[in-house]
Amino acid sequence: MPELFIDGIRYEYEGSPKLLQFILDNGKEVPFFCYHPSMSAPANCRQCYVKVGMPVKDRETGEYELDENGERVIRWFPKMQTSCSLDITDGMVVHTQETSEEVARAQKDTMELILINHPLDCPICDQAGECPLQIQTYKYGPEGSRFEVKKVHKPKRVELGPRVTLDAERCINCTRCVRFTEEISETFQLTIASRGDKNYPITAPGKPFDDPYSVNTVDICPVGALTSTDFRFKARVWEMNQTPSIDITGGKGTNVDLWTRDNLVLRITPRYNAEVNDHWMPDAGREAYQRFNEKRISRPSIKIDGDNQVKTSWNNAIETFAETLEGNKPSDVVVIGSPHASVEENYSVMKFFSTWGVNNFHFAPHIEKGFGDDFLLTDDQAPNTNGVKALGIDESSDLNAAIKSAKVVVILSDELIDRGAIDASSLKGKYTVLLATNESQTSAAADLVIPVTCIAEHAASYVNVDGRVQRSFPAKETKYSNRKLNLEMSEGRLDRHGTYFDNWVTEENKIDCIPAWEVVSKLASRMGLDIAFDNSREIFEEVSSSVPLFKGINYERMDEENGVQLTGNSKEEVTA
Amino acid sequence: MANQYEFTPEDLQEIEDIKSKFPEVMPATLPTLWVAQRRFGHVEPDVQELVANTLGLPFSHVHGVATFYTQYYKEKKGKYVLDVCTTTSCQLCGGYDMLHYLEKKLGIKKGETTDDGLFSIQSVECLGACGYAPMMQITNDIYVNNLTEEKLDEVIKSLKAGKMPEFESVGMPQHTERS
Repeated sequence: MPELFIDGIRYEYEGSPKLLQFILDNGKEVPFFCYHPSMSAPANCRQCYVKVGMPVKDRETGEYELDENGERVIRWFPKMQTSCSLDITDGMVVHTQETSEEVARAQKDTMELILINHPLDCPICDQAGECPLQIQTYKYGPEGSRFEVKKVHKPKRVELGPRVTLDAERCINCTRCVRFTEEISETFQLTIASRGDKNYPITAPGKPFDDPYSVNTVDICPVGALTSTDFRFKARVWEMNQTPSIDITGGKGTNVDLWTRDNLVLRITPRYNAEVNDHWMPDAGREAYQRFNEKRISRPSIKIDGDNQVKTSWNNAIETFAETLEGNKPSDVVVIGSPHASVEENYSVMKFFSTWGVNNFHFAPHIEKGFGDDFLLTDDQAPNTNGVKALGIDESSDLNAAIKSAKVVVILSDELIDRGAIDASSLKGKYTVLLATNESQTSAAADLVIPVTCIAEHAASYVNVDGRVQRSFPAKETKYSNRKLNLEMSEGRLDRHGTYFDNWVTEENKIDCIPAWEVVSKLASRMGLDIAFDNSREIFEEVSSSVPLFKGINYERMDEENGVQLTGNSKEEVTA
Repeated sequence: MANQYEFTPEDLQEIEDIKSKFPEVMPATLPTLWVAQRRFGHVEPDVQELVANTLGLPFSHVHGVATFYTQYYKEKKGKYVLDVCTTTSCQLCGGYDMLHYLEKKLGIKKGETTDDGLFSIQSVECLGACGYAPMMQITNDIYVNNLTEEKLDEVIKSLKAGKMPEFESVGMPQHTERS
């Protein structure tokens, strides 16, 4: 197997990797800015310099020439090489900044040049704390600048598009954003304008940067030049904590991180998953954080005298639900599952009602034709359409007909009236129970509204359009959950040190809601049915033992493998 | 919004000829921008967009190329653009004096255009004619060497009459007779 030596240690490699990627893959570090594993390597930041040499071979014998100590004679390349664009060849000898003073010096000097015109506004810069330039300047950069002349001024606070703001002075012209629009989103909306120390990325004159994937350029910007217009100045990164989750605005199941502070989700960023979304996510998914914070239904509400809803107690809500069911026959009840809710929620609700005797289960896929593209946007607007199908709930194109003869309609977490799957008039004269996360026309029309947790508050799994089951983690506390006790929840600095008596903790940000499976458990215990679910992990284990498609899958596998592909879920089923 | 600029059929034929010289379209950007600048006298954003659409390239790419080169005029300029060199050799031999003389004579500052649309003045970096400093270039074309105030008067006069100065051959020192 071909070999190379990095800092005196021998490595073997396969194929033809680039040197920088190989170094990173082996847990070592070389500073860099412009390189990105998913894009081409233009080698224009010049930061990843390393010293490289090749062993000298005797041309006739093909043997390595040895010096008097028996070591291979190395012929060094005359200049430093940018490791990001260098192909590894057999026998190559590499010195990084760790073993070569010369390399460390070269990197430091490059950094000094990059920093010449970079403003010193880290204290007010959104990127501070997650800024490669800041981090690498601390680690490899010079202590000060020798340039005492006035810095070059360029446009600031430029609205590049509806979602991205540019500060050209901070830009180091790595061209990652330009390459993103050329190679990944292929809208070709950005370019580098002007020349020398005056250049910066910009759109063509008069054209907005309205790429549906535009905010990804903010994520890959190695400095604070491109910032998210929505997230600007909202929070410092070190105040937030990060929880892995799934994008709920589409069927692709894009892997995301939810960034929370004081139990509010402040932003959503993509999380790397080579099988699903690589490093990217559509802009549409980033706006979902508002759903997690705003217009939440907190505490159950019940309709009295006409159309007025009032808040009520949990006991009263469960009691009313149970009495309503007991006052009707199971055959008069229709249960509507939801592609917007998780596998666990659908399963637990379905199990309860089928045990009680209901056999009328439906759900309506949420499809918007023409919304999808070949990348991460899908026609399917719901994150779990395939999961609901896999559980065997009937797909129904006309819900109005399906509920026509029913007296009680139970709807799981789906804004059916808002998205036109059901007419408000169809619910007239029926008793409607809605388990929901957000206020909507549907919740306004329901007779009993029970607040349930959203994806940001529970651990639950979702099956994407390609039949891959992936799960979320709780990111936000509810009134009844506790970050310190639930080991699946991550803790940020403010979460750890905040108390109820300071202004870091706002009790109102915790929603008064419980997971759907707890609602079901309460209802079952009230009605004397032997059904109880402790947590979603347990439910999923039950699902995997009873539903063939989920056989052998559990949370541990999903965590280790970044989601698991369901067997037998063909592409055809997906588009249906 | 309809583009107010349009290529003539002859221009389009020329652009086709340019394109046929390259295996890909992208390298045709530079010569096509020249065709446009010759036709319209500048490459304003609208002209850049016309070039992009004609070549089938992204507008942003053409914009990036046009802004990289100072020889492409990104705004309307006078008929004659006087590029006065103010880099080291010319600076030492009076380049700034020539620039300021021109500014005073035409009543405009560098970067501006006279009201009659005839002249623009620019101060530019080295044009590679250090041997004949101070010097200037007229509209990316003729070099006028060894400038003096009298020579500038003459040049302006002849340009006003619509006559470009003749190409001046200036011998290098090694060509002059050695005594």
